[in-house]
Amino acid sequence: MPVGYSIYLERPSYIHHRIDPRTKLAALGSVFVLALAFNHPAVLGGLMLLLLLIAQVAQLSWRSLLPFLIGGIWFLVLGLLIWPFYVQGGPKLFTIFGNPIYLNGVLFGLAMGLRVALMVLAAGIWMMTTSPQKLTVGLLRLGLPYKAGVTMTAAIRFVPLLNAERITITEAQQSRALNLSRGNPFKRAVKSIAIIGPLFIRTIDLAQSLALALEARGFAARDGRTSIVSIEMTNIDRVILVVLAVACLVAIALRILGIGLISRSYL
Amino acid sequence: MQDAQPGEKAIEVDGLRFRYPEREALDGIDLVVRRGEFVGITGPSGAGKSTLCVCLKGLIPAGEISGRIMVSGKEIDRVSPFQENSAIVFQDPETQIIGLTVAEDVAFGPENLKRDPDWIRAHIPETLKIVRLEAYENAETYQLSGGQKQRLAIADALILQPDIMILDEPTSELDPVGKEEVLDVIARLRHERDLTVVMVEHAAEQLAEMADRIIVMEAGRIVDQGPPNILYRNAAIFHRPDGERAPQVAEVLYGLIEDGLLDESEFTAREEEAVELLARKLGASQRLASHG
Amino acid sequence: MAEPLPLAKGEAAIEVDDARFRYSASGPEVLHGVSLRVAKGEYLAMIGQNGGGKTTLAKLFNGLLKPTSGTVRTAGINTRDATVAELARTVGYVYQNPDHQIFAQKVRTEIAFGPRNLGLTPEEVTKRVDDALDLVELRDYEDAFAFSLGRGLRQKLAVASVLAMSPPVIVVDEPTTGLDLQGSRSILDLLSRWNADGRTIIVITHDISLVAERVPRTVIISGGNILADGPTRDVLSNADLLQKAFLRPPQVTRVAQRLQQFGIPPNVMTVHELRDELRRALRA
Repeated sequence: MPVGYSIYLERPSYIHHRIDPRTKLAALGSVFVLALAFNHPAVLGGLMLLLLLIAQVAQLSWRSLLPFLIGGIWFLVLGLLIWPFYVQGGPKLFTIFGNPIYLNGVLFGLAMGLRVALMVLAAGIWMMTTSPQKLTVGLLRLGLPYKAGVTMTAAIRFVPLLNAERITITEAQQSRALNLSRGNPFKRAVKSIAIIGPLFIRTIDLAQSLALALEARGFAARDGRTSIVSIEMTNIDRVILVVLAVACLVAIALRILGIGLISRSYL
Repeated sequence: MQDAQPGEKAIEVDGLRFRYPEREALDGIDLVVRRGEFVGITGPSGAGKSTLCVCLKGLIPAGEISGRIMVSGKEIDRVSPFQENSAIVFQDPETQIIGLTVAEDVAFGPENLKRDPDWIRAHIPETLKIVRLEAYENAETYQLSGGQKQRLAIADALILQPDIMILDEPTSELDPVGKEEVLDVIARLRHERDLTVVMVEHAAEQLAEMADRIIVMEAGRIVDQGPPNILYRNAAIFHRPDGERAPQVAEVLYGLIEDGLLDESEFTAREEEAVELLARKLGASQRLASHG
Repeated sequence: MAEPLPLAKGEAAIEVDDARFRYSASGPEVLHGVSLRVAKGEYLAMIGQNGGGKTTLAKLFNGLLKPTSGTVRTAGINTRDATVAELARTVGYVYQNPDHQIFAQKVRTEIAFGPRNLGLTPEEVTKRVDDALDLVELRDYEDAFAFSLGRGLRQKLAVASVLAMSPPVIVVDEPTTGLDLQGSRSILDLLSRWNADGRTIIVITHDISLVAERVPRTVIISGGNILADGPTRDVLSNADLLQKAFLRPPQVTRVAQRLQQFGIPPNVMTVHELRDELRRALRA
């Protein structure tokens, strides 16, 4: 769980600094479209490799990718455990508990695991290469109202603070003999009121002080606001956007044609 | 942003009354603050100090207000537009910080006023220099200490280039290190920039050093005011078991005046002056003793 | 009036033996082999700049944190062998901001939270609540809505909530932050009174003048080490030592130290004392 504001990692990479956040957002969306369009493990595996390549270009260390890769492995295992019981086709491999397992089932399970792993990894890479400030400006340029932009930033700003409050409240209540490790889940949930209650009230308190501070610094005093963060769509961005658009269209076309699939009856 | 002329009134409050929905807060405040003055405000909790501060800033809370407030020659009321002449710093370091980095936070105010981004970027380093945070321009704000956050809050206010700074207990949530840092910045501010300062502060010793004039509030009214060396002599307010906090030297010297060992005119509330005074007296006394 | 649960005779209330602490294996060490012994019935203040280790040390007392090495014993119990909930019977910890604790509607319900968690019978709980209300002088507000109280009274409520568990040792974290002089004096008077009743009190505070006036023993913690531990008069008149913790002696002490050549003792602690000394010297 991030201690700071976001999992954005500052790196002197091309992707971090030369590509517009709007382009990166479009790229994320495109990855999702591509991941959904195919269900052949070879294709999805290839996409995965492509993502890992992009991570390299973005100078993200393997260490920072680790949580996402581990998550990915879990999904792979899950996929392999579940789907073979449903998908049939190709040579029969063996039988488990009276259920026949076919090659296509295994491949499909692999593909499904890869698909989720892919999407999770893409989201992770996206977050690690897009600074929240630039993202906010990007969204503003796309039409997000300026007040919503400030709200987003304020929300991010308050995450570590509220986390710290939660910890302090938990400690304070534990010092009054609140024992959260005993009792069944229902009882524990009821006990948690001692933490949620003060946290809720503190949050409202903080929100009130924040509202006053915002007003004191001229928030909404003018119609709109300027920003010291600047972003610019360059030709590189436009080229990338075109490539992405084409890739998505091609993927959808291939899907309709039934290419790159293990099974046509499942997504 | 210079509107008022030297010697003119930066703030003029006339018969200000304010009532929150559930209680009264200000019961007839008359106050004049001259341009360049440093006015301290002290008094018990619930006296109305914070209410007065937000009203002066033009952030009138929900409730009934009557009377007149003039800041930099402009009348303040519920519907007046955002006041650019004044800036306010509150007590809680956390809720005044909005940006994810220090630079972003300083930029927040001017961005709201639609200032040119180049202008803002150019002015950030010098503003941070005044509060001694220039090395932290790109630091993430959650990593700052309490004292650093409050100094950042002061920078946030300064970049708006106000004539008047209002500070509502800026050090009460800080440890001694933070208190020292923040009060040092405020003391320097007043000499380096031509600012009018109104500060609510409980730290009596420091307030006596910095303020030209101190106002004591109680139950929504101003019960006394004056330069520290005169105000802190008031026995009705200080020097009692349940009285307000006076600087310790003031208490001591007041006691000596009561004992007949000092003259009223020699009273001071400031540490340096008190030490000089006492050294003189003790020196003279020693010489008398050795001659006697 | 509620008697605190007794500590066995001769037991130290708190014994810290070469305790070290770091928050994570890769993080910096925050306490460097600290040792401290608090006898039953003592009243001591822990001072030092934020981040210097005083809060970390205090959290070792009630088991919120366990030492990375070394031992901490509270009423003879090794904190590693007990949960925070169990240790809450012996060490009460009052947090700085009452709003981090208060969640009940009524004052009585709020105070009853601790005793209930300890598994006491309803009759016992009621008795503890009544005693606590009297101890903090909140009787008049017993049926009030907890959040309608002002900051000073909420502070008292938080203290009452901890007192209701009748711990023989109480740690109070920054009780005077955000309070005016009246409020601060009120809380500290209560602490002195409870100490007179036999409770062991540890107060963490920044208010040097109030420590000088009321607390007999002072411990300076800075940079993860105990810089000083002794009678307040000795500790707070040592300007060099205080400076290492970024603190200064009370104003009257500073003034006295600059008038030493005239026979004013350098360890004056209060306004009263300085005035007496000056009287004596000026009349001589």
